[in-house]
Amino acid sequence: MTSKNTMAQHEREIGAQVGFERIRRITGYLVGTTDRFNNAKRAEESDRVKHGI
Amino acid sequence: MIQKITKRNGQTVPFDSVKILNAISKANKAVEDEKMTTTDLLFLTEKVCDRLEGEGCTVEQVQDKVEDVLIHYDYKRTAKAYILYRNEHTKIRNSQADLMDIYKKLTYSDAKDEDIKRENANIDGDTAMGTMLKYGSEGSKYFINNYVLPKDIAAAHMNGDIHIHDMDFYMLTETCCQIDLIRLFKDGFSTGHGHLREPNSIRSYAALACIAIQANQNEMHGGQSIPNFDYAMAIGVAKTYAKEYWKSFMTYLRISEHMSKADAQKTADQFQKALKEKPSLRNTEWVEEIISTLDIQGADHDVLKAAHRFSAENAAEQTDRETYQAMEALVHNLNTMNSRAGAQVPFSSLNYGTDTSPEGRMVIRNLLTATEAGLGGGETPIFPVQIFKVKDGVNYKEGDPNYDLFRMAVKTSAQRLFPNFSFLDAPFNLQYYKEGDYNTEVAYMGCRTRVMGNVHDRTREVTCGRGNLSFTSINLPRLGIEAHGDIDQFYKKLDEMIDLVIRQLLHRFKIQCTKKVRNYPFLMGQGIWIDSEDLDIDDSVAEILKHGTLSIGFIGLAETLKALIGKHHGESEEAQKLGLEIIGHMRKRMDDESEKTGLNFTLLATPAEGLSGRFVRFDQKKYGKIQGITDREYYTNSFHVPVYYPIKAYKKIELEAPYHALTNAGHISYVELDGDTCKNLEAFERIIKFMKEQGIGYGSINHPVDRDPVCGYTGVIGEVCPRCGRREGEAVSIEKLRELRKKYPDVPVY
Repeated sequence: MTSKNTMAQHEREIGAQVGFERIRRITGYLVGTTDRFNNAKRAEESDRVKHGI
Repeated sequence: MIQKITKRNGQTVPFDSVKILNAISKANKAVEDEKMTTTDLLFLTEKVCDRLEGEGCTVEQVQDKVEDVLIHYDYKRTAKAYILYRNEHTKIRNSQADLMDIYKKLTYSDAKDEDIKRENANIDGDTAMGTMLKYGSEGSKYFINNYVLPKDIAAAHMNGDIHIHDMDFYMLTETCCQIDLIRLFKDGFSTGHGHLREPNSIRSYAALACIAIQANQNEMHGGQSIPNFDYAMAIGVAKTYAKEYWKSFMTYLRISEHMSKADAQKTADQFQKALKEKPSLRNTEWVEEIISTLDIQGADHDVLKAAHRFSAENAAEQTDRETYQAMEALVHNLNTMNSRAGAQVPFSSLNYGTDTSPEGRMVIRNLLTATEAGLGGGETPIFPVQIFKVKDGVNYKEGDPNYDLFRMAVKTSAQRLFPNFSFLDAPFNLQYYKEGDYNTEVAYMGCRTRVMGNVHDRTREVTCGRGNLSFTSINLPRLGIEAHGDIDQFYKKLDEMIDLVIRQLLHRFKIQCTKKVRNYPFLMGQGIWIDSEDLDIDDSVAEILKHGTLSIGFIGLAETLKALIGKHHGESEEAQKLGLEIIGHMRKRMDDESEKTGLNFTLLATPAEGLSGRFVRFDQKKYGKIQGITDREYYTNSFHVPVYYPIKAYKKIELEAPYHALTNAGHISYVELDGDTCKNLEAFERIIKFMKEQGIGYGSINHPVDRDPVCGYTGVIGEVCPRCGRREGEAVSIEKLRELRKKYPDVPVY
């Protein structure tokens, strides 16, 4: 593979290192990502089970 | 004679007995009797120095001797004051070190590594303004803890018996407020410099709504709520419609009848005068009917009818478009303008759902549509918190005028997590309700707070202009642990703690009452807080603050019950019974205090963002990890069934509903659904309806809302994005994205 091809291939790929956004409700309001949650709320959010109906 | 003394930092300095004399004198001045003369002071100082003779001397040893001497010579009260003063100084010294440590952490660490920088998820702790806000906040808290609070209250907060919320704002302001936009907009208002005229179009109404929220947010530390959003915006819709109608009317006459601008204007003016009523979405048919009775220069009846029909149709279409754009702009604004202390967006809430007028309905429909569309990249808006007010007879069942909007709200919520749903039929809300009067419809503010009843003035149990003053939470699980199964002992200690918090709330209230209107140029100066319009700029706000609420909150009922009887209320009927008794008792204490003082004491199911971890951290240190109680990093929120406990949605709602009635300062119940259930809107609606039937006051359904920023997919994402197939951190080719965009127009362009 020539260096020109490698560069071209590199330009044409999107999303390396990009994660998914996970919107969650914190204490009645939403936060765009759990990155911003404090440690206690992160722990709580990961404990949350789903409720069947 | 002792010559040298070693200070706490290790330095050795010359001994100065005058310092001892001054310290004794200061302690003596702080007590009411035991008055010491100069001779007494000199005598006591000498006795202290005598006792130090021959010993190596540190500051601690000197202070010990001072205490000994004072007690020996029977100055009991002075001794006590001296000891307290010494402890105070120790605390201050310790806190001082802590404060600088905190400042170091704030300055040098990243938010991902420092929990303190993530105390408020709304603020980016890594930015300059976010950090500056924290500097101010931590410095203020230190000041309040050491110089303002009574010592026993400061101690209770510092060691985790209670939590005084928003302590940084202790000296400054109040929490949330319900802003009546209709009142505010009438005749315009000001936010400091220059006057904002009464708005004249739906776009201006929406823009000014954002300004009002922002302006008020900069004077209060809690959420800002609009209790009558649909009613208020409806007025803007009507004004826009009228404008669009006359524009269209003119256009029709000029194009279709070849009239000159001047002639068309004359005809339009005459017609307008003859109508007496403004053309609106409501009176289209009526206008058409009365045209036959009118005599207008330049246009016969047929022309008028045709012009009217065209104008009505066009105006409706244009107004709808304008309303959509206004709602879209509002949602964008409330998600992007970091106008709160430069570091976060305002905490905004909009309550709506009961305006059945065509204008009100147009507002609600477009707000929901704009919310569903999302932000620029299709992202889920974080704000405003939207609350759909559910009311039987208005929007609850088939045949109700706004039922279609309720169903639309369900659809939007299933996708975007908002709106939440409040229930005006809950008995504790229904008691105030009068049909068509938004001032009698309970609203919710901030995370979940509620202010409606009014012990201070029973004739003003209304929603507009009301707010809450402050709240302080009790560490209920700790009381449970310390009771060691003795329920009577638990109640005894709980009552003592409630007594202390009542004292503290009143202490803070006293400070709040020293403020004047000039301290709140918008909240009070523009008449937002109830009755503030009657005050002048240098009048005290003390009397009108009494319409607000002083609240005691709690977290961790589940852990408390586990500590007392080994089970939480999700898993045991006995625990549920005891839980209701405990919270019922706390509510009764609040009601009794309200009766006694004439102030609005209320009980809150605390939102607990930072607090969820704070109490349990203290208790882990104190008691170790007790299974089911202190073995997690958080205490369960308020009266909720623990998040980790497997339980059916209907059961959870049934168990939690009765607590809503008891927590008159605010509450919320959640149900967690997996994404699949959300594709089933009927099930979603059934859950909301079950909440209403059970007497829930405020409820919400949580489900995963994920988004892949690369391909724009919004929905549930597990490991792999369902649209483009990539995993987190992986890249996809730009060709693939171009292909996908043909099918999904919301794939971002690269």
